[in-house]
Amino acid sequence: MFSEPIMSPVSAVNFWFANRVQRWLARNVPAVSSVSLHRRNIFILPTTHGLLYVAATTLIFVTAINYVLSLAFGLAFLMVSLFILSILHTFRNLHHLAVKGVGGDAVFAGEDACFTVLLQRHAERLHEALELSFPKSLISRADLIEGEQQRVNIYLPTRRRGVLKAPRLKVQTRFPLGLWRAWSMLDLDMRCMVYPAPVPGPLPGADSTAGSGKGQSTQPGGDDFHGLRNYQPGDSPKQVAWKNLARGQGLKVKQFVDSSGDRFMLDWEMFAGLDAEARLSRLCFWVLELARSDVDYGLNMPGVRIAPGRGDAHRNRLLSALAQWQQTQELDPAGNSGEAG
Amino acid sequence: MDINYQIPSLALLWVLAALLLVILPGALRLPPWILLMALACMSWRLLIFQGRVSYPGILVKMVIVFTALPLTVLQYRAQGVGLDAAVCLLILGVVFKLLEMQHKRDIVIVIILAYVLIMIGFIYSQTIPAGLHALLSVMVTTGALVALNRDNARNNFADTSLLAVQLVLQSIPLTLILFVLVPRIGPLWTMPLPVSSTKTGVTDEMTPGDISSLGRSGELAFRVSFEGEAPSHERLYWRGLVLDFFDGQTWRRAGNTLLDYGMIRRYPSEFRGVALGEPMDYDVILEPTQQTWVYGMQLAAVASGDIVQDRNYSLHTAKPITQRMRYQLRSWSDYQVDLQLPGALRARALQLPQNDSNTRSAALAQELRAASSDERDYVNRVMRHFREQPFYYTLSPPLLGESSIDDFLFETREGFCGHYAGSFVYLLRAVGIPARVVVGYQGGEYNPFENYTMVYQYNAHAWAEVWLEGEGWVRFDPTGAVAPERISQGVEAVFADQPGFMEDAGFSMMRFRDTQWLNTLRLRLDAIDYAWNRWVVSYDEDLQLAFLEEMFGENARSYVVLALSTSTALIFTVAAYFLLRGGRGQRRDPMTRSFLALAADLEASGLPRRKSEAPMDYCARVSIERPELASAMQTVTRMYVQLCYATPEADSEQLRREFTLALQALRRRVLSRARRAGLVAVSTFSRQR
Repeated sequence: MFSEPIMSPVSAVNFWFANRVQRWLARNVPAVSSVSLHRRNIFILPTTHGLLYVAATTLIFVTAINYVLSLAFGLAFLMVSLFILSILHTFRNLHHLAVKGVGGDAVFAGEDACFTVLLQRHAERLHEALELSFPKSLISRADLIEGEQQRVNIYLPTRRRGVLKAPRLKVQTRFPLGLWRAWSMLDLDMRCMVYPAPVPGPLPGADSTAGSGKGQSTQPGGDDFHGLRNYQPGDSPKQVAWKNLARGQGLKVKQFVDSSGDRFMLDWEMFAGLDAEARLSRLCFWVLELARSDVDYGLNMPGVRIAPGRGDAHRNRLLSALAQWQQTQELDPAGNSGEAG
Repeated sequence: MDINYQIPSLALLWVLAALLLVILPGALRLPPWILLMALACMSWRLLIFQGRVSYPGILVKMVIVFTALPLTVLQYRAQGVGLDAAVCLLILGVVFKLLEMQHKRDIVIVIILAYVLIMIGFIYSQTIPAGLHALLSVMVTTGALVALNRDNARNNFADTSLLAVQLVLQSIPLTLILFVLVPRIGPLWTMPLPVSSTKTGVTDEMTPGDISSLGRSGELAFRVSFEGEAPSHERLYWRGLVLDFFDGQTWRRAGNTLLDYGMIRRYPSEFRGVALGEPMDYDVILEPTQQTWVYGMQLAAVASGDIVQDRNYSLHTAKPITQRMRYQLRSWSDYQVDLQLPGALRARALQLPQNDSNTRSAALAQELRAASSDERDYVNRVMRHFREQPFYYTLSPPLLGESSIDDFLFETREGFCGHYAGSFVYLLRAVGIPARVVVGYQGGEYNPFENYTMVYQYNAHAWAEVWLEGEGWVRFDPTGAVAPERISQGVEAVFADQPGFMEDAGFSMMRFRDTQWLNTLRLRLDAIDYAWNRWVVSYDEDLQLAFLEEMFGENARSYVVLALSTSTALIFTVAAYFLLRGGRGQRRDPMTRSFLALAADLEASGLPRRKSEAPMDYCARVSIERPELASAMQTVTRMYVQLCYATPEADSEQLRREFTLALQALRRRVLSRARRAGLVAVSTFSRQR
C-alpha cells in the first residue's frame, strides 16, 4: 500500500500557483525594511460585496431595458461609475502609504510573536480602515488620520523555538465602499527570536554547581536559588513559589543557598535522559528563575559555553543561545508547526 | 480570520435612513399596512441598536413572515402576480432582513437592495422631483456603505456624508457619458406594467356632459413642439377617437375596432387619406392616460413610436400608456380623406338609435333639408341654426331627459361641446348625410421658453366630421358657431369667470395666470419639465441615434464603441490624476523633516550636507567648521539618531519633545548667523525645497 503522501492534482496546482506567486512577489516586491506603496506593489480586485453590487446594477440595467425607463438607465450608469471610481478611491487609500518594519520582541514558543510596523502618511493623505495581517494571524486594524505616523502591532502565533522571520505582511483596505479590496504583500525583513517554552522541572542539586568547582551546603535563607521543596508552616511568604502554585503544582517554597559570589552554571547534562527540546525548555525555565535571583549564572551546552554573568542582556544572550541551538535555518512562518529544521 | 469585526454603530443609522428614504415614496402607493410594517421593523431595529430589546427569536420571525405573506397574497389576489405585488414582497423582505441583520454581509445585502428599490421608484414616476429624490437616495445609500466601511473618528455624520456626496458627484461625468453613449436597445421581453385604475383624459364614450368634467381639470394632457412655426390656435384640433355609434344617450365606438387597424395602405387612393399642402412635423409627449390611444392632427403619418392607425385615422398603441410617452407625427396643412366611402363605413356613419324618440329634431332636420339646395348647403344651415338660435356654451349644462337631442335643441339650449357635436351629427344623419363625432383636444397654450404648446385636460373637445361627395370627410365644429372665441382663443378665455372651470385643479399655479410674474414662473417651470421629459426621460434608441448622427455624421453607430471607450478612459485618467496626484516623494517622519530643515539652514550658511552623508558624519564636520555650534549640534544629532534607529522603547514622547526644543534652539542660532551674513533668502528657499 502507498505509505507516501500523494498530492492531489488540485493541491498540486495550488502548490505550484502559490510557488509562482511567492517567486513573483520576491522579484517585484522585494524584502526591504521600509516600503512606500505605489502602483507596482498594490493589487486591487473586487470583493464579494462588489460582485453583489455588480449583480444589482445588472438587474437595474435589465429592468431599465425592459420597462424602457430612462432614469433607471441613469441609475445603473451612476452605479457603474461609482463602482469604477471607487477603484481609484480604494487604491488611493493605500497609495503613498509608507510601511516600515520596526521589528518584533522576543517571545517564548507558544506565545504570540508581536511584530511592530510603523505606518507613515503624507501630510495631505489620510489612510483609513487599514487591515494588517500575516497569513493565519489575527487582523490588526489601523487608521492613519490624526498623527502622521502610527505603530501597529501584528500578532503571529508561534509553536517552535528559533529565529522567526515574519512572513509577508498583507496591508489591505476596502475603504471607502467595500466594493474593492486593495492590498499589498510586503516583506519587511522583520525577525523575532522565539525562545523555547519554559518548562519547570526539578534542578538536580548535585550537578547544579558542577561548573563552579566548589562544594556547598544548603543554608536556608541565603540568596542563591537552589531548588524547590514542599511548603512547611512558618516559611516566609516571600519564598513561596507562586508561579508553581499557579501552575497547579502545589505549594512549594523556593530554596535559596547562601552562595553570594558563587557562580551557577546550567548544564546540558543536568537533564540527562530527556530529549533535546525538553532539555532546552527546562534550561530556559531555569535561566528565567536564575535571572530573577541574585546570582551570576552561565550556560554549558554542546557547542555553546557562556560564562556566568547577570543582567537583562546576559539573560537574553542565554535565551537566544537556547533558541538558536543547532538551529541553522530560520523558521519558516508557514511551516512553523512543521518538522524541526 | 476576522473574529473581532463589529458593525460600526453609525452605519446602522445610515442604513435605516437610506431605507426610509427609498421606501417612503413607494409605500404611499402601496397598501398602508406595508408602510406600518416597515416602520415597525425599523423602530424595532433601532431599539435593538439601543440595546433596549433583543433580536427576535425564531418563533417571532415565523409569526411575522406568516402574517405578512398571506396578507400580501390577499391584497394582490385580484390583480394577479403583478409588479405591485413584487415590490411589496421586496420591501417586506428588506425590512424583515433588518431584524436579523447582525453580520456585515447582511447589511451589505440590505444596502444593495436599497439601490434596487430606488430603481423601482422610477417605474412609477420619472419626474424631476423623482429624479432628485433618487439622487439624494443614492447619496444616502452610498453614505451607508461608507459608514459601514470606516470605523474611526471620521465616522461622523459630516465626514461620511461629505465623502458620499463627493463620490456621487465625482461619478456624474462618467454617468452622463454612459447615459448618452451606451447603445439603448428595446425591451428584451414584455413586462407587466402597473396599470393605474384611474384613467385620465378623453374616454372612448361620450355622454353629453362628460367632457365638461374634464373642463374642471387643470392637469396637463400632452405637450407638442412643432419643427417649424406652430399653427394658429383655431387649427389645433387634436384628434383622439371617432365615436360613430349613438344609442340615444351616449356616443361610442362602433364595430370591431380590430378590423379597422392598419388597413389603410391596402385601399386604393380614393379610399384613403391623401396629403396635400405643407407638411408639419411635430413631437408629442403624452402624459400617462392608462388608455390605448394617442392624439394627433388630421391627417397624421406616424414618424416614430409604436403607433398604429385605424380606418378612422385614429392613432392607437398596443398597451395602455402608463408612462409619459413620446412620439413624432407628420401632418399636412391640407388633406383629402376617403373620397370614396365604403358601404360598411357609410352605414356606420348613418346609424341612428332604434326606437328613436327625438321626433322634433328629426322634423327640424327634414325641414332644413327641404329648404337647402344640396348637402353642403344643408350643413351650413344647421351651423347657422346653432349660431342664430339662442344657444349658450356652458361648463355646467342642465341635465337632459330621455329624448336627449330634442331636450337640448328645443328646451335647455345650454351645453358644452359634446352637446353641440352630438346633436349636430344627429341632425345630419337624420337626413342621410354620413357624419360622426370626434373627441380629442382643441387648442393649447404656447410656451415661449422652450417653444412648445401645452395642452391641458380642460382643452378636451368634441366636434364633428361630415362626409361630403367629392370632398371626403370634412371637419365641422358646431361649438365654434356658438362660441367662436372658444376656438380662436381657447377655453380659458371663455370660462375664466365660470365657477366650475378648473374647480378640481386645487391649488394650482394655473389660478395665478393673471399675475404676470407668477405666470412667467409657471411657464418657465413647465418648460424645464418639458425639456427634462424630452431629452432625459424619453431618451431612447431613436433619439440617441438622431443625437449621434448629429455628432458623428452618417456612420454614427460604428463610432459609438470608440467614443464610449475613449471618453471613459479619458474620464478615468482625469479622475486618477486629480485623486492620486500629490503625496509623491519620500514620506518623512516629523523628526527627519526637522533634521533636514536644520541641514538646509546650515547649507544656507555655507555648510551643505553631502549626498548620503550620515547624520553623525555631518555632525562631526559641522562641529569642526563651527566649533561654537558643536555641542548643540552633537546633542541634537545624537537624539535624532536615537529616535530614528534605536529600539521602539527609546521612542518616547519625552525624548521627542527634548529633540524638538533643542533643534529649534539650534536652528535659531544658525539662522541668526545666516541673517547677519545676508543669506536668509537662500535659507527660506532651501527650506521650501
